[in-house]
Amino acid sequence: MFQDILVSGLVNSGVYALLALGFSLIFGVARIVNIAHTAFYMLAAYALYGLLVIAKVPFLLAIPLAVAAVVALSLVCYKLVIEPVRQHESAVLIATIALALIFQESLLVAFGGSFRGIPNAVEGVVSIIGVRVSYQRLIVLVVVAITLVATWYLLNRTRLGLAIRTAANDQEIANLMGIDVSRVAMYTVGISVALAAIAGVVVAPVFVVDPLMWLSPLVTMLAIVVLGGLGSLKGSVIGAFIIGYVEAITVFAVPSGSYLKGAVALTIMIVVLLIRPEGLYGVVFEEER
Amino acid sequence: MKGLLAWPRWLWAQLRHEVLVLPSRSFVFFAVLLLLVLPLAYDDPYVLRIITMTAIFAIFAASWDLLAGFTGQVNFGHALFFGIGAYTSALLSHHLGWLPWLTVPLGAALAMMAGFLVGIPCLRLRGSYLSLATLAFPLILTGLLFAFPDFSGGELGVSGLKRILVGTVGNYYVAVLLMLVSCFGMWGIGDSNTGLIFHAIREDEVACRASGINTTRYKLLAFALSGWFAGLSGALFAHFMRVAGPSSLEVALSFQVVIWGIFGGIATIYGPVLAVFLLYPLTEILANIDLFKEIRLLIFAVIVLLVLLFMPQGLTPWIRDKIEVVCPRCKNRNVFTRHQCRLCGAELR
Amino acid sequence: MIRKLLLPAVAALGLVFSQGVWSQNIKFAILGPMAFVQGENHWAGAEMARDEINKAGGIAVGGAKRMVEIIKIDTNEIQSVPDATNAIERAISRDKADFLIGGFRSEAVIAMQEVAMDNKKLFMGVGAAAFKLGQNVEQNYERYKYWFRASPTKDIDLAKTLFAVLGSVAEQIRKDLNRPVPKVAIVAEKTAWTEGLIKAAQANLPKMNMEVVGLWQPSAIATDVTAELSAIKRANADIVFTIISGPLGIVLGRQMGELELSAVAWGINVEAQKDGFWQATAGKGNYVSTLDTYAEVETTPKTIPFVRAFKARFNKSPIYTAATYDAIMALKQVIEQTGTIEAEKLIPAIEKSEYVGTGAIATYDNRHDLVWAVGKTSGIAVEWQDGQKVPFWPPGTKGMKPFKLPKH
Repeated sequence: MFQDILVSGLVNSGVYALLALGFSLIFGVARIVNIAHTAFYMLAAYALYGLLVIAKVPFLLAIPLAVAAVVALSLVCYKLVIEPVRQHESAVLIATIALALIFQESLLVAFGGSFRGIPNAVEGVVSIIGVRVSYQRLIVLVVVAITLVATWYLLNRTRLGLAIRTAANDQEIANLMGIDVSRVAMYTVGISVALAAIAGVVVAPVFVVDPLMWLSPLVTMLAIVVLGGLGSLKGSVIGAFIIGYVEAITVFAVPSGSYLKGAVALTIMIVVLLIRPEGLYGVVFEEER
Repeated sequence: MKGLLAWPRWLWAQLRHEVLVLPSRSFVFFAVLLLLVLPLAYDDPYVLRIITMTAIFAIFAASWDLLAGFTGQVNFGHALFFGIGAYTSALLSHHLGWLPWLTVPLGAALAMMAGFLVGIPCLRLRGSYLSLATLAFPLILTGLLFAFPDFSGGELGVSGLKRILVGTVGNYYVAVLLMLVSCFGMWGIGDSNTGLIFHAIREDEVACRASGINTTRYKLLAFALSGWFAGLSGALFAHFMRVAGPSSLEVALSFQVVIWGIFGGIATIYGPVLAVFLLYPLTEILANIDLFKEIRLLIFAVIVLLVLLFMPQGLTPWIRDKIEVVCPRCKNRNVFTRHQCRLCGAELR
Repeated sequence: MIRKLLLPAVAALGLVFSQGVWSQNIKFAILGPMAFVQGENHWAGAEMARDEINKAGGIAVGGAKRMVEIIKIDTNEIQSVPDATNAIERAISRDKADFLIGGFRSEAVIAMQEVAMDNKKLFMGVGAAAFKLGQNVEQNYERYKYWFRASPTKDIDLAKTLFAVLGSVAEQIRKDLNRPVPKVAIVAEKTAWTEGLIKAAQANLPKMNMEVVGLWQPSAIATDVTAELSAIKRANADIVFTIISGPLGIVLGRQMGELELSAVAWGINVEAQKDGFWQATAGKGNYVSTLDTYAEVETTPKTIPFVRAFKARFNKSPIYTAATYDAIMALKQVIEQTGTIEAEKLIPAIEKSEYVGTGAIATYDNRHDLVWAVGKTSGIAVEWQDGQKVPFWPPGTKGMKPFKLPKH
């Protein structure tokens, strides 16, 4: 049982981490609570489905196409919808909710409510210390690792990363230093949605694709991000592992209570917040004035 | 005889000088009048049903505004209070056979308690942490309800509840009258000293505390009050639908109320109420038109988005600024056609 | 004087009006989540019934022939329960529907039932299995007598079919794999309707010479059951007994295939009844078997022609909500028999009627539920075999094929 928990916890955490990273990034830099984040993830899954299953495009071509299409769409949405109301926090919030609803309803009209499946990139299973894991899940873990390193490198070792971090710290100062803040925000949105889209194309084969699929990972993702500390990439990954393992332990410890795994994970989040209101690795904001 | 005539005369004077002078107030006055006389003239059960639902959701949206709009505690899990009100009232009347007249206020009271209890951990949380943490509460409660299906009915909920009154018109009046009382009540709270402190907490909590205000107490008060009204709407909903089910705790409902609140304009009470009265029937109207039937929710979302692009503060503040001007001297509102303030005579604009 | 003149005028007007009513169409409101497969089938089944009846000249009501009109009501019940109640109210008071047919999500149907009963409209349920719906009729007949459940049988009766099939699957395992006491893992979504079935399974399986190795209850909308499946694998289960109505069924089917579990899945798996199941599991749902309603087998003499006509017309096979066809046809039978469309007079007639439908032979009990009997209302069992949904039970019915065990 112990090795079961170890392995299934690990693979589930990988899925969660990939989703949480992008959300955390856009909040950390642009202070946007992007409710539509998992909706972009859903769009990428549908784009992949359309390319792969309907248009019969080969895998290696379909994946970059799907990601690129979703990122392009997100930039258009950002320019048209979010940027004009950036100053109004509450308007941004429901603009992202409305966007998510628009995506959901468009997909519902275009594809209907049926569930769809996306074939795995690589078929087969491997046995890790006696526990069967499909290759697709291993791919997810590898992609998480690569994405994490790439994001860290981008933020800490490139000029764009420097600009993004400066803008995250203080928009006005960044402006004074000659940084085009609105362009930096654009880049951030692009990177963040790209992360969501990558999650969509590698994770979607593991799950089922349908127009309401954005809601349940949204809640888990928000819990992870809050638990880890908003805006902290390290926190998101660690949060993902905590929630992933909590869920696995719940399933193995109380099999007839496995429906409770979501509720248990959320309770853990609340408990952590009670002890550390800024999450595990969150920045302690000065009381904003 | 003279005494008898004095009352109507006083009322008329009040009406003329306090209500009809301002377009917003006249609008509210006529809208309320219309709501009250509508069933006498037009008793189509479908229309009355939609308005009844609208009225119930209007209380819900206004209660969100009282908490999120006024004190800035942007609650993403407002369905918790709605669900607690619905389930409490439903379970009491189902297991103990009590009448709705008793269980509805009890449902609201328990939701108020819940508001207070949820408020305590939320005191430590700020901004987005609070929003995202509150999202979890209704989902945890859903988990609990599913764990005890014999008690809660699981996914089917508690059904076969008694109506508050028999008949469509009766229920219409119950919902509309309670909506009016609640919303004017909340509006009154918002306009009172307490409301002023709520505003201050949202704008600058530190300064507020520095002024010697116990912000903790006021935040908890806001949570409890908001819980009471949301619970009331949940209980009304349960008895009107005759079912209290897990859908009253769904994330979608929590998001819906956020949309209503912000769309109408926060910290106004009347904003969210107007938003519900526009948006809730909108999807139903679209459902009646063959062309839009299938895409009504899409149209709904697009309209919300477009309105926000042009009115990022929400609908009512935008309209109000167009049709009314604030007197620069006495801060009273005037209709935009006036050149001089109706109260102090100062030059407008 | 005016009164004297007015009275005959009103009477005449009334006569004209009622005559008008008599020559009008009979309106059936078809209620369902129209953007989803369940709703599509509600509507498709109703379209077939309408066209068939109207082609033959309509329904004979007391001498006059009246055409059938069906009204598509999108309840949006999967996303919103209030929407569903608004929709049924609209069907009744706006569209002036004579009969209400459909419904799928139990929580929504319970709320819709109330609205229909308030308006004393005959409501033929097609889709929701919750026991409560029929229990209402038993407990408060005067109010709820307008409700009939045309399909499926109530949830507890489903258990009888499930155990009967489980017995034959276990027998095959005993024989082919040489396991005298097959091990069964129960995977039930955590909902109220599964409670009774789980208890029954835990009590009955040992008596049927099977061993229950565990009970897993994920949420109906769970997106991942790999952890559960690892545990089931470790328990060496031979059969995964599923009691699932939600998308969980797809996830389970797919991940069982992916992890190459040697256990076979049998039970209720609503998603596996749909044609789209194979695609939704990306071809991994092999050997998943489920209770079902329609296949090209002779459940009743009408089944095969109906299923073929349906496939030819809509390019997909019907799922159980296409029994709207049966509901309309059953109503036609009693309307012609009684010569009226008044609910009060139709109810006793339906209660006494036996209707041979396409998915079942329907007779009603005092809860207005279908009376359960093998070969009549039990439904059939199907298994996914290499992309095809293959019927294998009840053995006596013509057209059945053998049940296969997983090879890995």
